[in-house]
Amino acid sequence: MQQQAITNEEIEAVFPKVAQIIADALGCDVDQVKRDVPLIEGLDAESIDFLDLVFRLERAFGVKIPRGKIVEDARGDLSEAEFEQKGVLTEAGLARLREFLSEVPADRIAAPMKAADIPRLFTPETFCKVVIRAQRVAQAAA
Amino acid sequence: MAGRFAAFSFVDRITSLAPGVRAEGFYLVPAGIARFAPSLMAEAVGQLAAWAAMARLDFRLRPVAGLAAETLYRGRIAPGERLDLAVEIDACDDEAIAYRGAASRGGACLLELDQCVGPMLPMAEFDSPEAMREDLATLCGAGAPSGRFTGVPELACRIVEHARGEALRAELEVPAAAAFFADHFPRRPVLPGTLLVDCQATLAQRLAREAAPLQDAPGLETTRVCDVKMRSFVSPGQLLEIRVALIEATAAGARLSVAARADGKGVATARIEVAPTGGGR
Repeated sequence: MQQQAITNEEIEAVFPKVAQIIADALGCDVDQVKRDVPLIEGLDAESIDFLDLVFRLERAFGVKIPRGKIVEDARGDLSEAEFEQKGVLTEAGLARLREFLSEVPADRIAAPMKAADIPRLFTPETFCKVVIRAQRVAQAAA
Repeated sequence: MAGRFAAFSFVDRITSLAPGVRAEGFYLVPAGIARFAPSLMAEAVGQLAAWAAMARLDFRLRPVAGLAAETLYRGRIAPGERLDLAVEIDACDDEAIAYRGAASRGGACLLELDQCVGPMLPMAEFDSPEAMREDLATLCGAGAPSGRFTGVPELACRIVEHARGEALRAELEVPAAAAFFADHFPRRPVLPGTLLVDCQATLAQRLAREAAPLQDAPGLETTRVCDVKMRSFVSPGQLLEIRVALIEATAAGARLSVAARADGKGVATARIEVAPTGGGR
């Protein structure tokens, strides 16, 4: 499914609030939450923090973010088998992920890459985009 | 296994169950026990939610403690009294359960849990799925016999650093063996998060009492625990470092931050609010 591109202005509009939520969830200073810092390697986030973040973002922005939504959206119109084989991303899957996570340097998305490691790439900007997509879904439904 | 479905189980009967949606039940606090920690009311609500989730997922997975945005303590339950439990499940899938719930006595709300999230893990790592399925049938039928719980040993903390009324650091040596480990969980014993919270709340009350505005209060009790986040399991025999810091204190109460670490790694964080006993609630 082709989605309308997210603009820098849209990201800038939600970033301050998203950054504060990330700082609250991780117990760090908001100044440490740069748009491009990897949350796991840069801010010591763990899987429970991602669950926490999603729920906090839902409450703060009044949107629904289904569990597993980021990876599902990353896969887009590729089937599961086209996206990954035995837990490892295919070439098509890697290409799709580079496009989807355009905020992540492309050389960080290289073979071999396990699907389970996708969250290691997430940055605050990733979550800004999650919020913007959820807002668009909510607006479309309204 | 002795203790399984007894030593740390706080639902006696499930009176209404819509798997993955809502559940109601009750727990009779045994008359003979010395103390029923307030945090065990939250444990009972959480366990009811877990049954509703496991029933939905056919016991492939079970939720474990993760996040609890807000727990309000509105009253206490005493040994011999019946605790009525209710949960509403907002989401339940292979990744996590999100729920809220309450515990009450005779229609009076004693505890409210809001915005709780429990990550799902494979059931077989923790207990026999078949045995759990049978236990749920018991709870939904005649109910489990009451009086199974005989109490938990006090988790003794040793204060190793202390700035009066400001902050403290304590060590908690988790017992290497305790009856509750047989139930939490039979195949993977871990310290229940609610027992850790109880221990942290005791330390928080002690520190808050040293703050000038609360020094003359007749007693303090926990009124609210928020932003609980359990990051990792605590095993029997593990040494925990607990830090408590006062955020603010007035005559009406105090807010404190608590954190637990093990082997240099964060285990749990929360904020705790305490108030003078019976302070108008």
